[in-house]
Amino acid sequence: MTKLLSLGLICFTLSGCAYNSVLINYPSQIAPIKQQLASPTPSAKLTELAGEIDTNDGLLYAQEAGRVAQVSGDFESSKTYYQAAIKAYKAFDDRATISASDLTATASSLVLNDNAIPYRGPGYERIMVHQYQAFNYLFSGDAQGALVEVRRSNQLQASEQARYQKSQKSVRAMANGTIDAEMNKLDQATGSVTSSFLNAYSYYTTGLLHELLGEPNDAYIDYRKAAQITPNNQYLQQDLVRLAKQLSMPQYDEFKRRWGDAVLPKNGQGQVVMVVEKGFVPEKQSLTVPFTINGNWQTVSLATYQPHRQAIQPSTIQGLGTVLKAEPIANIDALAINALKEDLPAALVRQAARVYTKSEMTRSVESGSKRRNNEADAAAILMQIFNVVTEQADRRSWLTLPRQAQIARQYIEPGEYQIRLGNSPAAKIDVKPNRATLIWVIETGNQTRFYSIII
Amino acid sequence: MKHFKLIFVLAAVIGLSACQSKVEYGDATEVETVNENFGSTDLQAIAAKMVDSMLTFPPVIVMTQNDRPIIFVDKIKNKTSEHIDTESVTDTISNKLLRSGKFRFIDMTKVDSVRKQLDYQNNAGMVDPSTAIKFGRQVGAQYMLYGNLSSIVKQDGSTKDVYYKMTMRLMDLETGLIEWSDEKEIRKVKSKSFLGL
Repeated sequence: MTKLLSLGLICFTLSGCAYNSVLINYPSQIAPIKQQLASPTPSAKLTELAGEIDTNDGLLYAQEAGRVAQVSGDFESSKTYYQAAIKAYKAFDDRATISASDLTATASSLVLNDNAIPYRGPGYERIMVHQYQAFNYLFSGDAQGALVEVRRSNQLQASEQARYQKSQKSVRAMANGTIDAEMNKLDQATGSVTSSFLNAYSYYTTGLLHELLGEPNDAYIDYRKAAQITPNNQYLQQDLVRLAKQLSMPQYDEFKRRWGDAVLPKNGQGQVVMVVEKGFVPEKQSLTVPFTINGNWQTVSLATYQPHRQAIQPSTIQGLGTVLKAEPIANIDALAINALKEDLPAALVRQAARVYTKSEMTRSVESGSKRRNNEADAAAILMQIFNVVTEQADRRSWLTLPRQAQIARQYIEPGEYQIRLGNSPAAKIDVKPNRATLIWVIETGNQTRFYSIII
Repeated sequence: MKHFKLIFVLAAVIGLSACQSKVEYGDATEVETVNENFGSTDLQAIAAKMVDSMLTFPPVIVMTQNDRPIIFVDKIKNKTSEHIDTESVTDTISNKLLRSGKFRFIDMTKVDSVRKQLDYQNNAGMVDPSTAIKFGRQVGAQYMLYGNLSSIVKQDGSTKDVYYKMTMRLMDLETGLIEWSDEKEIRKVKSKSFLGL
């Protein structure tokens, strides 16, 4: 009877294998899409991705589809995909504390692997969805819509900040709005601690959009938070000095002393604001350890990130008269690694429970007499194969995100310019007097794309 | 085993019956609480309050006694964290004000279409010039109606609190004075269920 039941259980769970990443690891599914992003026509695979939005991991596919559409310049359809992702996040929010579907998912994760649990992105991914959605609205000409998304990211940023506030002193300091010098020294030596929890890129983007769309006071608040996370970015420092001066903030004298006085535009000059995104965030790797329990083979697989990564060089922007050197504002890979670290304790508990379930399953189909006589037990062997094959690390994460974001800004005479990023082909941009030209540069592999809008 | 079958059949029947979708007509003014987002009930509450407040405000009563002042509605600025069709809110409010018979309105969203039509009547050579409506004969608005919709959203664990505040003002375009102003507050609290799907 137990044999029958466990076989039934297997059949039942296997039928659920329409889940995408349960048996095929996620990075290998996305690899062709990333390859296409490095070519001039990335949207060919988009419909495939969009088809997966109704599945268990719909949230993740919606994020990827939104990003792919956005990178290829199709802001309208990107908007729809991100909306699907936002809806999915909201559905998770609204789910009951003890929910039947969560329990079912956890139960099937005990028999199969963690990929059976619907993907529920880490905090920074959710904020980035809203940040990118704000870009979508802005680049399709809806400033008010962009500000709505900015406010949504602000809300999420606040809740993320609150989450770390208890444990992290540096985050507490951020709530006070101080950019303390001690922290500054530490960061120079070890790299910012806060930057692995909180995303300075989102703070900078929300600040930037607030500023460009005529809400400098809100911009000042976000820039200060970004500066707390990434204190050594000159452009950010300059933004803070300038806004502190314009808004006559009490911190103006302090900022001026530390970073020099604000550079203001000459009469009739325009402004170029560049946001540069480089590379792809790294993929999770799987770490598999085989072992035996009661003579039956089993494995554990955990997701991990490869340790040594090459540093990304700051981009140089040519064609604006002088060579402009962009400076990093945030490393998305650091955020990804930290998100995984936070996830690990729960994953380990599930892993232990899964090892137990699987070994019990094998034992239940095993025939005692055959074991005593050292005969091959087909059922037990099958079960072991099932266990080893289904044991896959949870390697899902938003893979089309950039690895690093950089910023640059300059006042410049109005006119037409041909700009280049490193060795990329030139792109034409317009600069109008007293207006800002926002240029969003996305470098994916060998391809560099420029999107610009005059605000 | 027999019991098993019975349970299975029952489960299948229940499961399938739940798959049937249906469509019903509802009351348009019914209180709607599908989720905590800005909804029809909020829109109706705001419009009702604003119109009521404006029509009963003593200076406005005096203003409309012998005259039907001409108003143009500026956009309501959406300062919330939701994508809200604020034009729909102003439409409802201007509708109600117009229906009260005390005000007249100029629709700024249609200026381009009107210009095109007048251009056609006067310059296309298709319309009898004696019946063509001349440029520059429209009446200017005396008042501007405008507003702000802002929200404060707080979330902690299973509770989400949303507070909306709609502020509206009527400005005399000649003097720049605010002739009327009011606000409507709405608070919604959502608590997550403990058990559920």
